[in-house]
Amino acid sequence: MDKPFAGMPSRRALLKGGAVATALVAAPSVLRAQTKELVIGGAAGHKPWVEQTVVPMFEKKYNCKVLFEGTRSLVNLEKMQKNKDKPYMSVVQMDDPVMILAVKEGLLEPLTVAKAPNMADLLPGSTHMDGMWANYLQPWLGVAYSKTAMKTPPSSWAEMFEPKYKGRIVIPSLQNTEGLPSLFVAGLLAGGTMESVQKDTDAGFKKLASLKPNLLTIYTQQPQAFNLLEQGEAWMIGPAMSSYALERKAAGAPIDLAAPKEGVFAMPSGIAVVKGSPQQELAFAYVNELLGAELQNRLAGPTFSIGTNKAVPKPEGLGADVKIHQIDWANVAAQRGDWIKRWDREMAI
Amino acid sequence: MSASRRLDPVLLLALPAVLYLAIVYGVPLMMLLGRSILNGGTPSLAPFVAFLSDPFSWTVIGNTLRIAVLVTLLCLLIGYPTALALARARGAAQALILVAIILPLSVGVVVKAFAWQIVLRRDGVVSQLMMGLGLWSEPQRLLFTEAGLVIGAANVFVPFMILPIYSVLKLVDPRLGEAAATLGASPLYRFFKVALPLSLPGIVTGVAFVFSMAASMYVIPNLLIGDRFQTLATLTGRSFLFMRNEQLGSTTAVVLLVLTVAVVVGSAALSKRLGGAS
Repeated sequence: MDKPFAGMPSRRALLKGGAVATALVAAPSVLRAQTKELVIGGAAGHKPWVEQTVVPMFEKKYNCKVLFEGTRSLVNLEKMQKNKDKPYMSVVQMDDPVMILAVKEGLLEPLTVAKAPNMADLLPGSTHMDGMWANYLQPWLGVAYSKTAMKTPPSSWAEMFEPKYKGRIVIPSLQNTEGLPSLFVAGLLAGGTMESVQKDTDAGFKKLASLKPNLLTIYTQQPQAFNLLEQGEAWMIGPAMSSYALERKAAGAPIDLAAPKEGVFAMPSGIAVVKGSPQQELAFAYVNELLGAELQNRLAGPTFSIGTNKAVPKPEGLGADVKIHQIDWANVAAQRGDWIKRWDREMAI
Repeated sequence: MSASRRLDPVLLLALPAVLYLAIVYGVPLMMLLGRSILNGGTPSLAPFVAFLSDPFSWTVIGNTLRIAVLVTLLCLLIGYPTALALARARGAAQALILVAIILPLSVGVVVKAFAWQIVLRRDGVVSQLMMGLGLWSEPQRLLFTEAGLVIGAANVFVPFMILPIYSVLKLVDPRLGEAAATLGASPLYRFFKVALPLSLPGIVTGVAFVFSMAASMYVIPNLLIGDRFQTLATLTGRSFLFMRNEQLGSTTAVVLLVLTVAVVVGSAALSKRLGGAS
């Protein structure tokens, strides 16, 4: 196998650069055709760290141009479906539930250790469906709480159910990805195991119904929920995402994120190569970089996430002994519709 | 009875608007209708039967209509006197009222919803006012309740009630009331027998505007009451955006459309009859 992407620009690339410079004077449109362009589709929230950290490093190392299109996961999926015959995006960064849909529709190219060597250094459970996608940085879900309202951080998920917090608890909607663990946590508190509460959610639903008096609201818009927490109207949000809660804390909001003793949950954040996409070698190189310890080490702090590469230490705020639960997203995909139906009926005001 | 004699060439001026609406509204609407009854290629009413035979759907329909009616009533209650004052006012006072009504329209719904969140919370001004007046013994939460939703939504939609009523009222000759007064009519009688019937077209337009907007609002309930109160609009949005259930989404969208059109057309017909009778 030839290796077109060494660390330093090759003689050919330099020659090409010269040719481009000449062409620029003669016919500027040629410039575009000469520079390799890699289009990445991801979440709008990824834009800051992708464009500030990943893109400059990648463009320099591989002598190419990276375009990042930030939107919602489902919108990315639609783009992939619409352009299935002639894809223009080469890499997608999407949530696992959406990855499952993309696999079902045959839109992804499997990752292999040969094409992305860093895959070999990932924590177990970080690749899915025979390597169709891999997790790179995973935000974690704990209980966010108001430091002004609560003297001690919540040590257990069970605290959200205590009667003294009447009307002070906010949970995410089941339609939000970060909302699913509330159902599983309720099941765990009712005495189940991580496997059993995901397969059969009945006990979870029954336990959740007892949370209703404590609910201030069930949110679909995360910023609104944190607004309530910061204003002191809400006292706890759970599950709450580290990438949002700790960023607000760092910005000076009087809140913090606790890792309860029953464990925290890893958010799904996958990366995959689009089937039949242009610049496949670059695409695999991009995926490889994001799975590597170097980039993950640089990004884990600012994104308040857990790295999936074995060489990346656990982030601050998460003790070494805290259990990190991984969610079976294929099971979620199969059952979510029914869960939401039941949720709408049983969690209504 | 030739058609050409009846066709006023001026009507052609409506052509750009008609074409525009046909393309950006009519065609997608037909596609939506088609999708709601085309279940896997063969036309079928099964999705509607399934939806309407589920008791929860009726809760959702009930939520949608109840909130829309309450918002419309509140807007009418606040809006009519305002429109009356606006029609009577002159000069700077009138300009001031108009600006006060129209300027808030430039503030986005999301901003307003966030503002209401501050006003309606436990230590918000409403709660403090009620405590100060001795009406509440302890702080109450209005946020994420139906009452809070109605109050917040009425705030957003009230200009659409005031302006149509005002535009009708300002054309009413004020001497009509004076004439009725000289004939011995009491103020109350003058209002119900003279002013109100004359302003009915404005009321009907305002009600149609506010009702259809309140029945189909999506962002406001999302922010002011949250996930625990589903309406046809929020269910439609969720079906398309999150559950990828286009069948359910188009079904709920059509149910909402039919209900809204029925209420708006029905109320217009009713008011015409009432107006004709008086």
